[in-house]
Amino acid sequence: MALSLYFDRSSWLHRRHPIAKVLVLVLLFFAAFLLADPLPLACLFVLVFAVTASARALPVLHRMRWLMIPVFFFTVIIWTLFYPATAGAPVDRWAALRYGLAMALRLETFLATGFVFLATTTIEEFAFALARLGVPYRAGFVLTLAFRLVPVFFEAALTVRDAQRCRGLDFASGSVATRIARYGPVIVPVFIGGLRRADQMAFALEVRGFSAGRPRTSLPRPGIDAGDLWLLATGVAIAVATLVVP
Amino acid sequence: MTAFTGCAGGASLVVRDFTCRYTDPPAPALAGVSLAVAPGELVAIMGASGAGKSTLLRCINALVPALVPAVCDGEIRLGAQPLLGVEVGDLGGRVAMVFQDFEAQLFSTNVRLEVAFGPGQLGVEPGEIAARVERTLALVNLADCGDRDPSTLSGGQKQRLAIASILAMEPEVLLLDEPATDLDPIGRREFYAALESVRGKRLVLLAVEHEVDPVLRADRLVLMSAGRIVAAGPTAALVRDVDLFTACGVRPHDLAVLARRLGCDLPLDVDGAVAALRARGVPESARTAPAAAPAGRTAAAAPPILEVRGLARVYEDGTHALADVSFTLGSGEFVALIGQNGSGKTTLAKHLNGLLRAEVGEVRLDGADLGALPLERVAREIGYVFQNPDHQLFAATVADEVAFGPRNFGLAGEALAARVDETLAAVGLAAVRDEDPCLLRKGERQRLAVATVLAMAPRVLILDEPTTGLDYPQVRAMLELLARLHAAGTTIVVITHSPWVVVEYAERALLMRRGRLVFDGALGELLDDEPLLRSAAFEAPPAVRVARALGIAARTVDELVRALESED
Repeated sequence: MALSLYFDRSSWLHRRHPIAKVLVLVLLFFAAFLLADPLPLACLFVLVFAVTASARALPVLHRMRWLMIPVFFFTVIIWTLFYPATAGAPVDRWAALRYGLAMALRLETFLATGFVFLATTTIEEFAFALARLGVPYRAGFVLTLAFRLVPVFFEAALTVRDAQRCRGLDFASGSVATRIARYGPVIVPVFIGGLRRADQMAFALEVRGFSAGRPRTSLPRPGIDAGDLWLLATGVAIAVATLVVP
Repeated sequence: MTAFTGCAGGASLVVRDFTCRYTDPPAPALAGVSLAVAPGELVAIMGASGAGKSTLLRCINALVPALVPAVCDGEIRLGAQPLLGVEVGDLGGRVAMVFQDFEAQLFSTNVRLEVAFGPGQLGVEPGEIAARVERTLALVNLADCGDRDPSTLSGGQKQRLAIASILAMEPEVLLLDEPATDLDPIGRREFYAALESVRGKRLVLLAVEHEVDPVLRADRLVLMSAGRIVAAGPTAALVRDVDLFTACGVRPHDLAVLARRLGCDLPLDVDGAVAALRARGVPESARTAPAAAPAGRTAAAAPPILEVRGLARVYEDGTHALADVSFTLGSGEFVALIGQNGSGKTTLAKHLNGLLRAEVGEVRLDGADLGALPLERVAREIGYVFQNPDHQLFAATVADEVAFGPRNFGLAGEALAARVDETLAAVGLAAVRDEDPCLLRKGERQRLAVATVLAMAPRVLILDEPTTGLDYPQVRAMLELLARLHAAGTTIVVITHSPWVVVEYAERALLMRRGRLVFDGALGELLDDEPLLRSAAFEAPPAVRVARALGIAARTVDELVRALESED
């Protein structure tokens, strides 16, 4: 089963320098955070969607639809229902809905931006960019490795779940609490397996010089070019524009 | 910690009077080990589980005691440089190791980046890294795979990638810890062929292996037991000491056993042994001596339990995992499901117990559509033991672990207790019923995994590579357990890469190749079809190949000896 979020393509976005992509990622998060109205947030989401399509990375959004679609509807419903009312005044249902929509679009923009970044950036590029931006190498490496390993653990969890289903464990019936409790026999083997794997990976990393303490190098890497500067300028422009949008 | 200043190329590895004792939990591991390996030399270390083989390798590259708490004494040095007490990082990649679990060693986005990781950590110039990547990928025959995601490679390719990622660091010592255990016969052959191409580089090569056939080309063999070296010497001489191998818990080479049983000297290669036996004279009656079939009913006589018709499956990425697979599984059979890594064996097996539902074609259980039955009902009839026992063990005690399945099916009270007792006795784990499953040895955990499924009293037991990672005595114990269950009426389907397991225990073979079932029939017929075996990367054990070349239908050394000693 293909679970990795990276899509090996040769699009214009794949070719951008990882530092430019990390900075634009931060700028788009900033923009989405500042915007409060559904319309500009929808515009920003459409822009991210268009960028994803132009980078031939739409399959990543399709693969993550199981997360994005429920998050959208759940957020709209929750924030519409719990929209803060003014004391003594009737709740403005239209304002509540707009608020719920804005919150959902903000979350969707965060998710889509993150996914398109991971779909077009290798973990090695990501770690390199973080190191160049001042994040300690070990911290950056562990963070990026987590993105690589999440699908691995997810796959292990599916195998364990299958193994327990073969022993008659029923995940489908009973109350929500009962069903959650039945995941104990899945969580324990996944957790122990994760610890064993972490041990083995620590050995493998040490053997490959992770603690050699020398200045690290890599395969030859292209520098920042005009395309990267344009991308960066566009990100800055979007962030600045959000400051002036009412 | 001692500073490691590096060595000149071509230094010898010396281990002298070395002792190691783990401290958490306390356990002796090595006692008085002495060994010297010259550059360009390949030394194979063999022994049962717990003999100290892996610990020795981990001490040589400083993982023990740097990362695993242990007290070590004695001397390990590379040339003039002591290695004991050095930090792993200070070795600067001069002593490198390939681990048994190659999946855990690969974490990069593509093959080229995987190989570049090590040199990058050592600060090698980018241009030189690129050159090393190309050189090492060519050396291990992966030059065409540079842009591929490591997870998409076959088992053999992954293991060769693991070697390439180490070789690119240009180490002086290469340690290999059971590097070919998870590989099919062709993957194992590819791996050792790649290792041959490395030998010219004046590396110190030290490989731990369970099977003797792949390491016949090693210059020397070292046999270990209980933390000590009990014998060391030239491979060609030592490998003939059948008693020594048996005493050390290592399966002796077929042809060494044959030579001893016949009381003659035989070459250890199949062609040489055939020529020697022909020269010695093969009785005419031997050529017609029928091979004794393992106990059990034949496929034709067995009433059907499972019927598979036109089964096909295509994965999301377009891979044809299964294509037009049809066969019938009869009650009381012992079937070996064989084929290369990625040939569709596990996918097929998961259709047999309902974990995967047929998308194209059908699977019928006792005549009923298996896809329409609830998984719980199917699980009672068709037990499935996963390859890795740790994928299912979670309970606090061995007895609780065994009780889990039957309890889910409604068994309780005395009936449940009796079932647990009976199952634990059957798998030989009654003595450890109150132990934590996670603290058992690998062989015991594997038998416990079988017990957890066996406790549900299934009519069919499917086991996915149940002998992986086990030493010879553990493998024998597992197979004897399966033979007992089979004799008691359980239908057994075992997925395995081990040729001798197939020929000694199975009566019928299903051979998969690229998602297709290319052979379904009696094992003897398969062994007669050499081209088919070769095309599916399956190689019969040496004794069987010798027997077939002499026109004898023997499947074990015993049968071959009986045939050769029969009167004309």
